[in-house]
Amino acid sequence: MHIDARTLDNGSVVEGDLCLVGAGAAGISMALEWIGASQRVILLEAGGFDYDPRMQELYRGDIVGLPYFPLQAARLHYFGGTTGHWAGFCSTFDPIDFEPREWVPHSGWPFKRAHLDPYYARAHRVLELGPYEYDAAQWQKRDAKLVPFPLDPSVVWTKMWQFSAPTRMGTRYRDAILGAKNVHLYTNAIVREIDANEGASAVDGLSVRTLEGKQFRVRARHYVLAASTIQNARLLLASNSRVAAGLGNTHDLVGRFFMEHLEMPSGVFVGLGERAPDTAMYAFEWGRTKARGELALADAIQRQRRVLNATVSLYPHDLDEAGQSTFQRMTPEVLAERRRAGDRAAEAAEAQREAAQQGGADRAFHLQTRQEQAPNPASRVTLSTERDELGMPRARLDWRLTELDRRSFRDFYDVLGREVGRAGVGRVQMRPWVLEKPDAPWPSSVGGGWHHMGTTRMHPDPKQGVVDPDCRVHGIANLSVAGAAVFPTAGAANPTLTLVALTLRLSDHLKSKLA
Amino acid sequence: MSGVALATLGAACDRGTSADATSALARPELLVALGAERVRELGRRYREMVPAERDAASLGDAITRSFPWSARLFGSSSIDVPRLVHDDFDAGRTVVVLGWILSATEARQCALFSLLPA
Repeated sequence: MHIDARTLDNGSVVEGDLCLVGAGAAGISMALEWIGASQRVILLEAGGFDYDPRMQELYRGDIVGLPYFPLQAARLHYFGGTTGHWAGFCSTFDPIDFEPREWVPHSGWPFKRAHLDPYYARAHRVLELGPYEYDAAQWQKRDAKLVPFPLDPSVVWTKMWQFSAPTRMGTRYRDAILGAKNVHLYTNAIVREIDANEGASAVDGLSVRTLEGKQFRVRARHYVLAASTIQNARLLLASNSRVAAGLGNTHDLVGRFFMEHLEMPSGVFVGLGERAPDTAMYAFEWGRTKARGELALADAIQRQRRVLNATVSLYPHDLDEAGQSTFQRMTPEVLAERRRAGDRAAEAAEAQREAAQQGGADRAFHLQTRQEQAPNPASRVTLSTERDELGMPRARLDWRLTELDRRSFRDFYDVLGREVGRAGVGRVQMRPWVLEKPDAPWPSSVGGGWHHMGTTRMHPDPKQGVVDPDCRVHGIANLSVAGAAVFPTAGAANPTLTLVALTLRLSDHLKSKLA
Repeated sequence: MSGVALATLGAACDRGTSADATSALARPELLVALGAERVRELGRRYREMVPAERDAASLGDAITRSFPWSARLFGSSSIDVPRLVHDDFDAGRTVVVLGWILSATEARQCALFSLLPA
């Protein structure tokens, strides 16, 4: 069922059992789970069904740390959210990502990877992926062309990825959501404040506005913030009528530990031998590849070297060409074109770009690293002194990295270079910036993957996390957070699959609670 | 290992490398992938980094010292250079030249190559 909030009477009160704030990957994944349930679900989306520059402008923010792209371009604020321009890259987090690692401050999840496996399998269906299978040998059985490099897996292993079509949730699930009698989607409904009770121990309701100035209120038994990592933190911090520091912020943690994936060109690989090594396993063709491998360090090596987790992908390239980071390649303009032109046109453009990169080389590849960022309390989202059109403080992003982030790149390439050399597969060249000391300034290619994680991290101890292991905000009985904001660590894999899996897990938990 | 190349060393290794052997050693496997000019540049850079190995004789001696003891003692009709390179990587005898992670042996091969007429 769909209601355009602009048609509501000013001062209306909307009531339900469960209120989801945000209709992106997390919000829609959860709403789908509740279709046909006896509970009344309110799904609030700030935007409409189409891109609206005025709506995006509400999400502009200050950038004060490392360079970052404009926040209003980094996320899409309409039904379907950022799945409107995502690339569909999916892989699971590794078991080591869930473990406390004494060399990675603030690491460790409240559960192990095996706990998430059934939810990963369900998330596969939501994101329209292939079988829940991430073992390279199994993929080789399915397709004999997918041959991993003959490396020692106790040193460097081939981590599998799968690729969603990509599923554009706004179009793929629109009919399902609109056709659900118990799911009430309100578009153009911008949540301005979470209203807590006097002791700030529970949420009383949400203050919601439209761009046109109408105000209404939403009341529910339970609320889930699924408005994106930066906006979830912004909303909690700006909800300061009861508590000056904002809701859920008793221990000054909301907004801290903002994490990205460092996606940067870091090296070059050349294949050796009379015939170039078979790299079909590692190839990617936009819109066609269903699965491919990337190279990663084995757990034991990560422990021995005391480094962060990372993977490396191979992109054919001329040796004389400089590589580009994801930020340099996927500019806001490119993302906008992908959104406007649709997937088919984007696919053609991407294929053209890939063909241009080939340069006739069959032995030379850029090595594109995707590395987790170490959890860092100084890397954070706070409120700006500037306010948006509706009077809400804007977000202020202070993205910061550490020496561990930098050193991990160098160690990764030391190990990779030695292993591919030992195996006779090829040789690795490190980019000059990788060779610099860990305290050197980051190069101009520093950048992320447009992945925002960690501002309301999960931890059993309220002094170390904003949400508990069930994703409920510590100290607030009926408020949860869905999405990558709850990740305690970032893993080396893109966040969408994991955030959908966590959302399904939260959904199960809330079903038992609201039954 | 693909592309196995054997460097023929006619004479006993402890007497140093012959011109033929030097020429054979100066053919790093990297040539196929990187081309002569890049390998030459790698070799020049290595000789700058390691002044004690800036000429053919010292490079030949350095490579010879990494031969198996039996080859050094009794001479050998053939030395498996790719094996030496593999063993270098396995033992961590690597050197970074212009960002490339090379085995010590192949870095010296590049240096020898850079001394050959272009």
